[in-house]
Amino acid sequence: MTSPSPDIDRRDPATVMRLSRLGSLHQCRLSFMRQLTRRMAAENWVFSRPVFDIDDNGVGHAVYTAQGPDHAYSLVAFAHDLPPEQRSDRVIAEAWDATFALFDGIPTADDIERLSQNVPLQEAGRVSEAELSLSRANRSVRLWAHVVDRLAAGQQPDLEQIYAVGYLMRTTAVYGSGKFGAADREKTADRPETNGPFQAEMLSVYLTRVFVRDLVQHMARAKGGEKTAQLDPEIANWLGIGNSTGLGMAPFIVNHPILFNNWIMAREEAIARVRALATATEADVARFRDVFRRSELSVSWWRSEHPIQIEKLTALTADLRAISDHLDQADLTQDRPWNRLILWSQTALSQEGQELLASLILEPYGDLVDGLAGCMADSNSAAHVIDGAMPVKAVRDLLRSSFGWALDLDWDAPEHCARAWYVSEEKLEPRLGERFDEPIAEYEQPLAPARDAALAHKALTGWAEDTPIAEFLLRHPEHRHTVRRAQMSRVAPYGEIRDNTIGADVLPIDMLRAKLSFFGATHFDPRSDRWVRICMYAGAPYPEDLTSETADLWVYPELLQ
Amino acid sequence: MSFSLNEIEATAKRATRGAGYAWGVAEEAAKATRWLCAQDVDGAAELARLLEYGFAGAVTGHIPAGTQGDWSGPGTLCPLMTGALLSDRSDLLHAGPIRIRQLAAPMMLLPFAAHAARNQGSVVTVTCGDFSAATDGAQLAVANDCPAHADHVEIALGGPLTAPRARQTRATPDPAAWKTLNRFAHRTFAPATEESRLLGAGAGLSDND
Repeated sequence: MTSPSPDIDRRDPATVMRLSRLGSLHQCRLSFMRQLTRRMAAENWVFSRPVFDIDDNGVGHAVYTAQGPDHAYSLVAFAHDLPPEQRSDRVIAEAWDATFALFDGIPTADDIERLSQNVPLQEAGRVSEAELSLSRANRSVRLWAHVVDRLAAGQQPDLEQIYAVGYLMRTTAVYGSGKFGAADREKTADRPETNGPFQAEMLSVYLTRVFVRDLVQHMARAKGGEKTAQLDPEIANWLGIGNSTGLGMAPFIVNHPILFNNWIMAREEAIARVRALATATEADVARFRDVFRRSELSVSWWRSEHPIQIEKLTALTADLRAISDHLDQADLTQDRPWNRLILWSQTALSQEGQELLASLILEPYGDLVDGLAGCMADSNSAAHVIDGAMPVKAVRDLLRSSFGWALDLDWDAPEHCARAWYVSEEKLEPRLGERFDEPIAEYEQPLAPARDAALAHKALTGWAEDTPIAEFLLRHPEHRHTVRRAQMSRVAPYGEIRDNTIGADVLPIDMLRAKLSFFGATHFDPRSDRWVRICMYAGAPYPEDLTSETADLWVYPELLQ
Repeated sequence: MSFSLNEIEATAKRATRGAGYAWGVAEEAAKATRWLCAQDVDGAAELARLLEYGFAGAVTGHIPAGTQGDWSGPGTLCPLMTGALLSDRSDLLHAGPIRIRQLAAPMMLLPFAAHAARNQGSVVTVTCGDFSAATDGAQLAVANDCPAHADHVEIALGGPLTAPRARQTRATPDPAAWKTLNRFAHRTFAPATEESRLLGAGAGLSDND
């Protein structure tokens, strides 16, 4: 294989870290779901269902165990009979169709008893260090009823309905990292299988999908008895687990600049490596053309009713036609073919098409790219410690480097500070409010790094440039947060969003999509400017079909023959 | 009831902010509280005791005037602010021990001594009266009881680190202290209003689609 030459740089953070581009990111080889499925296949994980104790009303519990080389992980699932008027995707909901915990190991009867007292309560209960994740899911009411009714009648569900919704259940929160008493990340961070980002949460959703398939079959049989049909495995394959994500996720990428940097930088490094390749083999090109064709199919099924997404999909569809036309004439084997393709895309396509292409060129090069997954965790525990000896001048330069564009903005102008992020006392739900219309300013969370950088930069005026920054911080503790971020940017060039996060027209869905694209989500369906539905694992093999052949490209659909 | 260290850190951050400190100082307090808990010290109790002093309301009265000579201020020093300075200027330890006068809740200084130890690649020893502590950043050893208030604290590079405390992965804070922290933390939550519930977040109140 041609080795990459070093003179293609990673893309400039000033280009990549704009919200509109972050809001146009697509999944790629480095996404967390695919990291997990590739690993489980390569390591021959063994799956079992030690418990399935659910009555004819769909109430009860089940246990699904995934055995890896060194550790087992078990999804403990509780199924409930939820009255429709209580069904809500919001953090403030108090009851759900199904609730889950991912147990570290194989639970005993006592563990299950303890979990049965707590997991259905979610935030109102407590889990322990033996649990890695806490989550819940609600039905897609229409599709659930349709599938149960059809199967009970001995028939298969209507494919159009399956395509239209894509999932039988959607998670409305998946908590990890010590929340509600669960184990801190440190407990599992050193295990190979959980070192990567969100692997426990991705495993929890993978097993949840198996449970949901089993549960809908069970409910169909309870209704239809002997004549009940078995859900066609190919239809089961189409079904993913939906997810409903709101503002709870948006602060994450601001609050974890080094972690987010690591994700972005890994992808940018992957893109640079592939662009640097002098030539591509026919096999590589064939792989690329194949995933492109399958992406066209995927995009053709992508539905949303939200005006913003409709506009993006119109642009993406036009981009796909442009790419297709271009590929008809392009020679992808010679003369740094991938770099020429990316350069072409920068003027020919919208950001959606550009980012799709950037992800697709990685597909033939697992050997070159997949190892970067090992760089996506954040193990830099000392990066948050301020270097007080750093001179004022160096801090000013760092602020300018990330936020030069923000320093001269009129931050008092209403359009620039119209919004404020806060936490409601109602179940601690994160919210985004209108600063001038609601009494929330005093509760504002530190989620406006650009504004704060401008304020800090201004406050540094008049300080002698070689003064240690510790002196400034002693007099101005209000800028400590911002100076810390500025110093972190030395090791995290992609750690800052280069846009205003409190402006009148900020779209939190851009922040949500950025994170969700790294999860591996597709078919982003915004329901408002601050709430998005996605589907996870649609097309993925179930445990019984998980092999190295099926574990990776499942995200690219192929038409049933 | 046991808590994860993440829960400790999150609550400590909100509580410190709720007590009136800047977010950047709240972040320091959160990491400091977590570190103490990891060292099998009830960091939540130490923080609760500190926050009840109410220093944040007039913080300039509770910070060292400078780093020349003994560190002292107009009034009792806040260990968060003083600790931040210690961590920021740990290089000063090479010129000799740092002496701090009239410090409240000296245990809260130890996590910052830990930063200093890591930054300088050395054990750092903290003494006040009979009490002494030594840390290399990752581990902590203490001898005798730490007073609630110290007339005089000395921090120096070097010293033995013997019989370090057992590291913990969970915390069991004193319930009264935990309640205090949550009371302070609550001040950072905006009161729920009907309008904020409808507009502030996504999704509907009824999702039966």
